[in-house]
Amino acid sequence: MTTLPAVSGRRRVTDSGMRALMLVLTLIAIVPLVLILYYLIKEGIGAWSKDFFTTDPTGRFLGNPGGIKSAIWGTIEMVALASLIAIPIGIGVALYLVEYGKQGRFANVVRYFVDVMTGVPSVVFGLFVYIVLVVTKVGGTFAAWKGSVALALLMLPVVTRSAEVVLNLVPDSLREGALALGAPRWRVVFRVVLPSALPGLVTGSLLAVARAAGETAPLLFTAAFVFGTQFDLSQRMNSLPLQIFSDVGQAQDRLVQRAWGAALTLVLLVLILSLVARLAQRRSRLA
Amino acid sequence: MEAGSLTARGGRTLPERSPRARAIDPLLRWTLTGLAALILLLIGFFFIRLFIEAKPAFDKFGYVGFVFDNNWDVSREIFGAWPLVVGTLITSAIALILGVPVAIATAIYTTELSPRHLRQPLTIIVELLAAVPSVVYGLWGIIVLAPKLKGPEQWFSDTFSFLPLVGGPVSIPNCFVAGLIMAIMILPIVSAISREVMVTVPSENKEAALALGATRWEMIRIAVLPYSRSGISGAAMLGLGRAIGETIAVTIVIGNAPNVPDSIFSQGYTLAAVIANEFGEAASDPTHRAALIAAGLVLFVLTLLVNAIARHFVNRAQRGERTVPKGMAG
Amino acid sequence: MRSHRWLAASAAGVFALGIAACGSNDESPSGGTSSGSSSGSAKQGGTINGAGATFPAPIYTEWAARFKDQTGTTINYQAVGSGGGIAQFTAGTVDFGATDAPMKDEEEQAAQKKGAPVHVPTVLGAVTVSYNVSGIDKGLKLDGATIADIFLGKIKKWNDPAIAKVSGNTSLPDKDITVCHRSDESGTTKNFTEFLADYSPEWKSGPGVDKTVKWPTGTGAKGNDGVAGCVKQTDGAVGYVEQAYALQNNFTTAAVKNKEGQFVAPSLEATSAAGAAASPPADLRFSTINAPGAKAYPISAVTFLLVYQDMCKAGMNATQAKLVKSWLDYALGAGQEIAPQLQYAPLPDSVKTKAKAKVAGLQCNGAAVGSS
Repeated sequence: MTTLPAVSGRRRVTDSGMRALMLVLTLIAIVPLVLILYYLIKEGIGAWSKDFFTTDPTGRFLGNPGGIKSAIWGTIEMVALASLIAIPIGIGVALYLVEYGKQGRFANVVRYFVDVMTGVPSVVFGLFVYIVLVVTKVGGTFAAWKGSVALALLMLPVVTRSAEVVLNLVPDSLREGALALGAPRWRVVFRVVLPSALPGLVTGSLLAVARAAGETAPLLFTAAFVFGTQFDLSQRMNSLPLQIFSDVGQAQDRLVQRAWGAALTLVLLVLILSLVARLAQRRSRLA
Repeated sequence: MEAGSLTARGGRTLPERSPRARAIDPLLRWTLTGLAALILLLIGFFFIRLFIEAKPAFDKFGYVGFVFDNNWDVSREIFGAWPLVVGTLITSAIALILGVPVAIATAIYTTELSPRHLRQPLTIIVELLAAVPSVVYGLWGIIVLAPKLKGPEQWFSDTFSFLPLVGGPVSIPNCFVAGLIMAIMILPIVSAISREVMVTVPSENKEAALALGATRWEMIRIAVLPYSRSGISGAAMLGLGRAIGETIAVTIVIGNAPNVPDSIFSQGYTLAAVIANEFGEAASDPTHRAALIAAGLVLFVLTLLVNAIARHFVNRAQRGERTVPKGMAG
Repeated sequence: MRSHRWLAASAAGVFALGIAACGSNDESPSGGTSSGSSSGSAKQGGTINGAGATFPAPIYTEWAARFKDQTGTTINYQAVGSGGGIAQFTAGTVDFGATDAPMKDEEEQAAQKKGAPVHVPTVLGAVTVSYNVSGIDKGLKLDGATIADIFLGKIKKWNDPAIAKVSGNTSLPDKDITVCHRSDESGTTKNFTEFLADYSPEWKSGPGVDKTVKWPTGTGAKGNDGVAGCVKQTDGAVGYVEQAYALQNNFTTAAVKNKEGQFVAPSLEATSAAGAAASPPADLRFSTINAPGAKAYPISAVTFLLVYQDMCKAGMNATQAKLVKSWLDYALGAGQEIAPQLQYAPLPDSVKTKAKAKVAGLQCNGAAVGSS
């Protein structure tokens, strides 16, 4: 019978040391988040007031700088339009990959290109939309819907990838059962596959929405920046990230504070979306 | 389960068997295939259009000239992007050096070392970092972080001035702060993928190491890390890809100086930041505009390359390349 | 299924909202505040989009607020810098542009596609050399050559002998100089570098004179406000910002040596003095940098609004052209009275007359604006 070698002192020290190091580094990873949240709350709450949410930024140098009303509505509207474009198309492509393309050559090429799209920096998307839509003056120059298009391009690969993963998790037995009962393919898709995958699809979509809500670069030269609230998608529209970006370099303290208030609003918006997404994931019967 | 609607219940809910109903099938198939093809067309169009718009700049300065000439002079209409490329590389390198080890440590801790009940909360906290928008990182970075770091940076610069790229005056917005912020931003993605890969390590490997008397850390070193090497490399490359393309947070904290930085604590500029900053004015100046789009194209190609390499590594990991750790082979 | 329907319904709701808003083509932003937007029959209403220099942004936005109270017309002025203003003006994405740097010949040529650009001078402002150094009070005496050397990076510390010599201040602190400059194309930069080039051959042949130059040293920030923020943030910083920004942030500003050898601090009187001797050419593209006069502040700059000679041919409709002309009339009329409140100098009478004549001569499809 062999005896196990005793653990030497040196090895024991290395073990404890490295384990401690891993813990310390993990804590270090958490520190920035804590600090950011702390400052967001500390500085941002100070900016919050009824006026903050109900008045537009005035752009005035002296006098009342105004609040961020146009930014909030702008973000909501542009992200909503972007989602309406990106989510159906994204899920559609994922459906193709899972139901029809599978591992075929065309499907693999599509997968590759979707992966490529996830790596494209958001500013390059903005550039692309600028060249194709703004410069060519398709329906006016700067317009909110063009910003939405740029955001949609950003969301598309994220939605597709997560949707593909979730759709793959739907057991084939479900599909085969439905098909065996004589259901046409489209009914299998719409009545069996999609409903089963729904919570996962919602999760993926909401995460993409949260990401789009926080993006600045794609909007810089597409939706541009404007002060007033207006719901016309064919005109320039303000948005939370652009408002923050505009206020961040300012020397006036109250403008910087407005930036903090807007940042807190944006982060809360994104966090709520992410939380709802995670909750939906919990309810999923597949994951 | 929605299967209820498909069971035979008095005939009303039986699926349609008529040819008319089935006619929708090909319609669906071709719609979805069309959407998939749309993606391909989109990317192709994307690349071609960018290239066409960028071509005047490449024609004027040459492909090599544009990327390697060290002179970005807007007023004289000379566009050599080398300072931008260097800035991009330096800040990304700092992001990798600072961010990847911490991310890997986090992954190791949450998968192997932490108490079970802490696993989920820790994971969520690290992922929350991904929810913070880039512009908010920039805001926090320039107002809170950068001023506070000036003192320590100055000390470091003075003490270690013999190192390359260190020494000399320290400016508040600088390359190092940009790299640090990017490190924080890539933490969640590198950590998440590393975690995913580490979780797939077969427990036989781990138990074998432990059974032979390895300490916990040695088990990680022998069984988990070698197995996960491909995946972690892939994760790091993905983080790099993200860092290269980061625009807004960088432009707020880097100082926007189109010169090759003397030290990591001086101002710099990146390809992404220059596009965001100069685009407004380039609208009516064809050369400037072409140069910016060319910078965007270079950025795009760089991220393509990095992501392709990343994908290669992650795929290798998923196929389970390393099943027998080196140390145990003999 | 239920949650699916609810999700779809709410999405459709937002979409419907967007479509409905699209259809109504609501031009006038609501603006939140209740004053002024009640379009009574006397008020003209409408919206004008403009973009350009940050140099006059304080006074333009003040004018815009008062103009709206008076006429109900909303002015959407985006302070993106003179370069951005010229670019958008040329591209036709705004109704008027704003710049502190008159359009260069190449820029005018590019704009010719839409028509002849008209420069309408509005006010004069002072480009201050603002510094944030604990240990130096306001009014530090500097001259063009020294300032150029600072911005060239040749003078790196505040207690450099060159600074001590020109300022006569021997107790300067031993601090690093942090230079703050513009990262965007700026008329303020063009005026500042024009001043530097007059006194520093090295600057003239090096970075040169333009809306954006290759800065040898320093941090770049967007807009006058960004440079102000940069100066405010760092102890030891120096930057060039318009007077209104310096005042608002309580910056200490330098007294700069002018052409006659006098050290003049930026002030309303000094700026007006700089403008007094101006005799602009017919197209009104002129500069007041390094103006003669013992009391003149040498870095005073005139700023312009840009419109097309024939606005309608350039793409505007007749109503919009009328609105723009009324805005220009306001700027050259009541606006001139308000300018001093923000330390901007109104135009000297001779220039004002010429400017008004230019505005009166603006056309819409061949006829005078407002005659339809």
